[in-house]
Amino acid sequence: MRTQPTAVHVRPRHRRAPAVAGFMLVAALLLNGCGSSSGDNSAGQDDSDGQVELLFFNQSRGQEETLTALAADYEEQTGVSVTIESPGPGNYLQDLQSRAQADRMPDLYSATDPFEMAPYFNAGWAMELTSELDGEWEETFSPAAVDLWRFADGNNLGVPEGIYSVHWETALYAMLVAESTGISPDAPPETMSEFTARLSEEDAQFSVAASLTPRLLMSYASNFMTDEELEATLAGDAGWETDAWRDTFQLLIDLRDAGVIASDEIPGGTEDNPGVEQSFFNVRDVEAIFDGTFGIGVQRATAPEFTEYFSTGVPAADNGTHEPRAVARRGRGAVVNPKGEHPEEALAFARWLTEPEQQQVFSDEVGMIPTSAELLDSGSISPELEGFAALAEDAQVLPGAFMAADVEDAIARASQSLVLGEISVEEALAQVQAAQDQSS
Amino acid sequence: MTTQLRHTRVGTSAVPRRRIRAKHRKNLIGWLFLLPAVALIATFTIVPFFQAILLSFQSWDGISPDIPFVGFENYDRVLQDEIFWASMRNVLAFGLIGFVVGNSVALVMALAVTRVKRGQAFFRTAFYLPGVFSVVVVGTMFLWIFQPRVGILNTLLGAVGLENLQQNWLGDPSTALLSVAATFVWYHWGFAFILFLAGLQDIPRELYEAASLDGARSWAKFRYVTWPQLAPVTSIVSVLTLLAALQIFGTVQVLTYGGPGYNTMVPTLHIYIEAFTNNRYGTAAAMSVLFGGALVVLALVQLAVAGRRLRR
Repeated sequence: MRTQPTAVHVRPRHRRAPAVAGFMLVAALLLNGCGSSSGDNSAGQDDSDGQVELLFFNQSRGQEETLTALAADYEEQTGVSVTIESPGPGNYLQDLQSRAQADRMPDLYSATDPFEMAPYFNAGWAMELTSELDGEWEETFSPAAVDLWRFADGNNLGVPEGIYSVHWETALYAMLVAESTGISPDAPPETMSEFTARLSEEDAQFSVAASLTPRLLMSYASNFMTDEELEATLAGDAGWETDAWRDTFQLLIDLRDAGVIASDEIPGGTEDNPGVEQSFFNVRDVEAIFDGTFGIGVQRATAPEFTEYFSTGVPAADNGTHEPRAVARRGRGAVVNPKGEHPEEALAFARWLTEPEQQQVFSDEVGMIPTSAELLDSGSISPELEGFAALAEDAQVLPGAFMAADVEDAIARASQSLVLGEISVEEALAQVQAAQDQSS
Repeated sequence: MTTQLRHTRVGTSAVPRRRIRAKHRKNLIGWLFLLPAVALIATFTIVPFFQAILLSFQSWDGISPDIPFVGFENYDRVLQDEIFWASMRNVLAFGLIGFVVGNSVALVMALAVTRVKRGQAFFRTAFYLPGVFSVVVVGTMFLWIFQPRVGILNTLLGAVGLENLQQNWLGDPSTALLSVAATFVWYHWGFAFILFLAGLQDIPRELYEAASLDGARSWAKFRYVTWPQLAPVTSIVSVLTLLAALQIFGTVQVLTYGGPGYNTMVPTLHIYIEAFTNNRYGTAAAMSVLFGGALVVLALVQLAVAGRRLRR
């Protein structure tokens, strides 16, 4: 019995050293992996021969190819190398946040919605560009576009007054209507009741993704409120439970009661708008949708043969008291990281991307409404975008307040429940108000 | 006295001391083997767990270097959050359906496959296959199945003359939760099936032969042989499947994102939205602590009940 344990002790002793060494090696590798120096991945490096290398963290898949090609052109012209990294729209914010937490922010990054970007701007990860935009550079842009980039003093996100991003696109939201409805782009319905009646006559269906209902309702709300009043609601200074908002949300009930909402529902889920676009562009079982300018890029990529449709503004409310104004957002653009290795070179690249020549490339390749005054004046916008472009000059400008993510989510969900008949307009507004209170 | 005693012990117990040293060496080697795993668990589980508890008392937007303490403010906010409690009610429904329906289907299929003479390997593979797919693939697949206008399910129902059963499966609150739960069960039951199958194959045949000799029929054999013999497997499967159902996330995220309205909202998705969309990491952490705590309590209760059953 005693020999057995001895044997057991002796034989592994020969193997112990390699085993322990092996574990030490694994542990060392793990620890090394966990603690790899940030310098390995840091953005904006000088390579061995002194060439400047910039990193652009890009959110939009649609512009990735064009942006990469433009970056290659830029390197040829200036010798500055720009790497375009595109984690995909779904992962973009999480990846950017990880980079901020690890102090590995890129030299330039895409600017998404103000609410999403505000923490970065407040933490000093964005160059304030007001002084840069004074003068010559600003004059290259449409004034309406630049107005959309501003954060006013005392805004609800706590971002110091200024401009923190430049854009080569203005995103607008409007109706896309198939010509099969019999509605002509030359004489689109002027009021919502006329629009609904025309759809109903043709047995045509309308759809809007839950995630876009806040934009649709903001567009429609402009029939009843000024920009200042809209801004006051978003800032939490005015309530949601008002007659103007009741009239706004009533739109969904009216559309439902007219029987024009496809499947009697507002589709939700993470892929809600792609689903709506697919129904309109590909399956074509829906004849009118509310969408953004980015939808045109989807049509070009997935259904290039389908061109029998046009874009037009959301028709006016019959009982509106103001001229309706479309919702416009900052489209694709860039934020310059002032804490990067080469902020001046990064700014120069952003500036170059916004020049009319480059904006023309974006416009041709991606399909977007440019911010360049020269291009907008030249009338070189594709026909599908004309309806959108017509809305740009009179779009809503709300630099003092931005819709909180909670409120957007609450509007989207309340809209779904309203159409399903689960809740009343009053209850929907109460839900949105609760979300507004939660966000402040 | 002490010295004397020690001398005596040293003198008379040289062999046991060697054994103790050898035992310590064995222990040391054991710990060395465990070290990487312990280090990884500490780094990626224990430290984040305590960090989450700490964060639940702080306010953080995910980016700002300032993370002020806010006391119980986050918990107060969660306790007043109607959506969070609605999501808790929804997840209980998912848990019950996943637990009862999922495990019943898995057990029945495992029983059926053990009786099959030929093609066991095929059925094992076929039934386990759903669990191999990515949740995004499964979600996309079921989006097409449940699509109201051109979806496979409604098309099939229409083809066989059952138009009155056609539904807006994911868009109607009365069917959305059940549709998501059905997808979840389909996706996850293969795991319970494999465990039940392994448990069934471990039951000695002699027990069934003895039961047959005693005149037991199928139900009696299941009631008095199969079910008691499966008790250890049932316990572990119950805990794992219930916890998996309560932590449902991907299926809901892809299929409905908690909608329509909040009809399929679950705590994990609500926590995700609170952190990554609303940038309120403190509140999300408070929700995680409350929800995680509830899961731990539930798992302990379930294990205690299962343990009592095993001892009987």
